[in-house]
Amino acid sequence: MVEMELKRDRIVIRLGTKKWEWILEPRYWRNTLLWAAFLMIAPAVAYFYSPGLINTMISANIYAAIAMPLALMTIGTGRMNFGPQFYIGVGGYTAALLSIAYGWGPLTTLPFAILMSMVAALIFSPLVIMARGLYYVLLTLLLPLVFLEVTFIYTDIFKGDTGLFGIVPLLDTGNAKNNFLLIGYFSTAIMFAYLWFINKILKSRYGLLMASINDDEDVAHSIGININKIKIIAFVAASTLIGIIGWFYAHYFSSFAGITYLPLTFMLKVLLVLMIGGRAQVFGCVVGGYFVAFLEMLMIRFMGPIQPLLFPIILLILLFILPEGLFGLYRKRRYREYLPTIHVRR
Amino acid sequence: MAPLVKVSNLVKRFGGIVAVNDVSFEIYKGETLGFIGPNGAGKSTVVNCLTGYLPATSGKIEMNGVDITHMKPHQRVHMGLARTYQIPRPFPELTALTSVLASSISGKKRINQSFQDAMYDATHYLEFVGLFSKRNILARDLTFYELRMLELARALATTPQLLFIDEVMAGLNPGEAKNAIKMIRKAKEEFGITVFWIEHVMAVLMEAADRIVAINYGSKLAEGTPDEVVNNDDVIEAYLGKGWREYA
Repeated sequence: MVEMELKRDRIVIRLGTKKWEWILEPRYWRNTLLWAAFLMIAPAVAYFYSPGLINTMISANIYAAIAMPLALMTIGTGRMNFGPQFYIGVGGYTAALLSIAYGWGPLTTLPFAILMSMVAALIFSPLVIMARGLYYVLLTLLLPLVFLEVTFIYTDIFKGDTGLFGIVPLLDTGNAKNNFLLIGYFSTAIMFAYLWFINKILKSRYGLLMASINDDEDVAHSIGININKIKIIAFVAASTLIGIIGWFYAHYFSSFAGITYLPLTFMLKVLLVLMIGGRAQVFGCVVGGYFVAFLEMLMIRFMGPIQPLLFPIILLILLFILPEGLFGLYRKRRYREYLPTIHVRR
Repeated sequence: MAPLVKVSNLVKRFGGIVAVNDVSFEIYKGETLGFIGPNGAGKSTVVNCLTGYLPATSGKIEMNGVDITHMKPHQRVHMGLARTYQIPRPFPELTALTSVLASSISGKKRINQSFQDAMYDATHYLEFVGLFSKRNILARDLTFYELRMLELARALATTPQLLFIDEVMAGLNPGEAKNAIKMIRKAKEEFGITVFWIEHVMAVLMEAADRIVAINYGSKLAEGTPDEVVNNDDVIEAYLGKGWREYA
């Protein structure tokens, strides 16, 4: 059925009348491998010198892992979603409620978290067809805030004011320090998996179709792209990936409270990861994630109570100084190489 | 000969305004059909209805005997309809090559075509319109003439049977316009397509078109060979006004 053929520099995959070529170019892997090795060694080094840093690394990885699907969604739908944290809420509450009610471990709750975020995304996916521009932004902005209200109204289920406690932890080796290290590696693995998957999609033919939808939807339709299909698939897939992060949060902290993730302050951080890294560049999201997480850690350590006020201001100033983001500094040398970037329409 | 596209009693209303009123015509395979009319006659609306950009209020559009009246634009592209725009609408953030590549992979279904094969395909179309040296330049940095050619390459890359050309001369200087017309003729010969050509400049259509359809206020005025249409009293009246004989 599926025929695979190994040629000199590529694997050719055939299915019926369809054909894919997967080009293997080990000479371009050096930088990727160096960065991967650095990120794999860093938690181990931090383990001996400053275990607190692992915590920051975990949040950096997770910020990046939220921003990358958001970049995919932004490019694939041609619209800026301002409420991706809604799916963190959906995934997180699904995992938390099931774990507390039935005592299920993380592996058992994962399929349900995926399923629930997928269903929620499917329910709200008509938004990407019906609403454009500012209306889409407003509608997506409202979703998490409405969900937050729901957690307060039905507080007997969602425990909106105190948060849910007693979720089965992600890992338990009996030693808190070892737990941290393993979860650090796990979060890096999630981040790398997302990075590989999303980069692969964006560089494939589907990425190109998404980029053309992002540039001009009507023209994309007129050259034969089924825009509604691609937009809905991009929306649902990215939302599901974000939902998995909710599951991770619930089991990592063994507690889950909507008030931590659903308000705008959390979204602001994710948005800045996306923009500081470089307009929806997937590799930029990793840079942005680490930058924002470490800046946040330093601010909390040295600024004290003024931090919640200063932190967004510093990031906003950076946005003005670096409109192309940190990754954009690197990209400037190869600016004509094709990679989709976001193009927010009015 | 059975027509390639048959439009019967096409009506398009925007609220109370009737933009296209009961227009019927046929497009035959291999011909160049000119489509003329004064400003606001409804030419572009007809093209928008034919390519599925606007839904027709009533009437029927058939292509090769298949009813395409209620098909979506991308389905019509897969049937073999392609269009260019009056004002070029490139993908600003994509390079010239990737713009054509996008339509090469999304146009009419090709079997056994991988992403890399589509790249070769796109290169061919880009070379055909003379933009190969600009393949890695972002579309937003191209000149107006190059954008026109990019639009043509993008439309040809979907492998159409029928190409709608909307005012190719607008905004070009005489030299560029001459090249553009030459290019469209070359495309017609090389790819064996049928051309539906909207144009304001009558001289171009007199030379290039096999048949001309003239419309005014959304209704068909005349249909026939260029000479017949140009000498038609209704057409002259539509362009020059009622009292034209006094000044002729």
